[in-house]
Amino acid sequence: MYEGVHAHPDGRATAARLAKTAAAYGYGGVVIRNHGDAQTEYDPDRIGSHYGIDVVPGIEIRSNDPGQASGLVGNYRSKRTIVCVHGGPLNRFAVEQPTVDVLAHPMRDGDINHVLAKTATENGVHLEFNFARVLRAEGGKRVRAIQGLCKLRELTEKYDTPYVVSADARSHLQLRAPRELLAVGETIGFDREDIEAGLRAWGELAERNRRRRSESVVEPGVRVEPLDPREDED
Amino acid sequence: MSPKLSVWRPEHERVKHLPKHLRPRWRYLAVGIESWPEADIDRRAFQRAIWFAAGNLLGDTGSAALDASLLRFRFADAEGDAVVRVRRGEVERLRAVLATIDEIDGQPVGIRVRGTSGTVRACEEKYIRGPPERSEERTVALADTERPAVVRDDRIDVEVSDGRVGATALDIRDN
Repeated sequence: MYEGVHAHPDGRATAARLAKTAAAYGYGGVVIRNHGDAQTEYDPDRIGSHYGIDVVPGIEIRSNDPGQASGLVGNYRSKRTIVCVHGGPLNRFAVEQPTVDVLAHPMRDGDINHVLAKTATENGVHLEFNFARVLRAEGGKRVRAIQGLCKLRELTEKYDTPYVVSADARSHLQLRAPRELLAVGETIGFDREDIEAGLRAWGELAERNRRRRSESVVEPGVRVEPLDPREDED
Repeated sequence: MSPKLSVWRPEHERVKHLPKHLRPRWRYLAVGIESWPEADIDRRAFQRAIWFAAGNLLGDTGSAALDASLLRFRFADAEGDAVVRVRRGEVERLRAVLATIDEIDGQPVGIRVRGTSGTVRACEEKYIRGPPERSEERTVALADTERPAVVRDDRIDVEVSDGRVGATALDIRDN
């Protein structure tokens, strides 16, 4: 299972510390998804081999302007393995872009309706179930966060929309082990399997994108097959 | 009030233990706690944090069903561990409650359930470690700037202008 995290200066721990802690918690990988305006320098391969965890370079594009966001997505698509878009006013923009992997926290400052969920499904854009406020807020804020997740769950179930799950940790202290997230999910009405699938989805996205970027892909939809032909979900 | 001086009570008022098959069955969770070097967390604060987290996440009914209590607690030098007892069958709910403890008295904490056992002793033997590694204060170079830090094995908590940043030996130049 994988987590999507924010490293210093977007958070309070370096990519290495997050990777170390995530590995100790039993994660197979971490996606470093710093916001575009708070990026971090790190060596994913060195950290990954040192702590025995897959460190995936990602980004979370944040902008108020869809035009600018579009340019940023195009720019980072080839540079990062996983491209997320900071949800809220950009929700509609993000679900319309097949080149976007994840729409982060779509319910925090925005909303998802049946049209957006359907569009996300068509474009393979994963919607994020962001547990930050379930874990770290209280009172009305948390109530609204849980309501948002429940609404999102109904829509993703109805339209079979791909999704990821994350605690959205901004430090090693905010990371929670997969079993803990399954328990929290269950408590607020999710099936454990759904949470697990959402944590795995980050890794599946990383694998798919790496495969797409590898040289075996001749052009979209056409690639040189390895010896054992596997079912291709793309 | 000496406990030796027992007052005579009629049969129906005497304290009696429940027969074994009616006693509650418990599970014991070993919990790891981590924070920043300056954090000061005591037993009462952690106990309170569990109560509040349970009340907030599960409400009074859920909290009552958990019947959770803190049996062992140690915290020093940014690290600690605890043993929490809970009704059997409520382990996953307690796990969820513990996961939602993100700060104690305003101090950010990382919480992890290391494991669960059927007895306190097994829980301690299997999951509670000995005294933690000694930390030392040192100046380290993070992003080309010398900064004060607290170093504990591979983990390095660096002091920056607006607080602390968690790093590891990999982040420090000359490592």
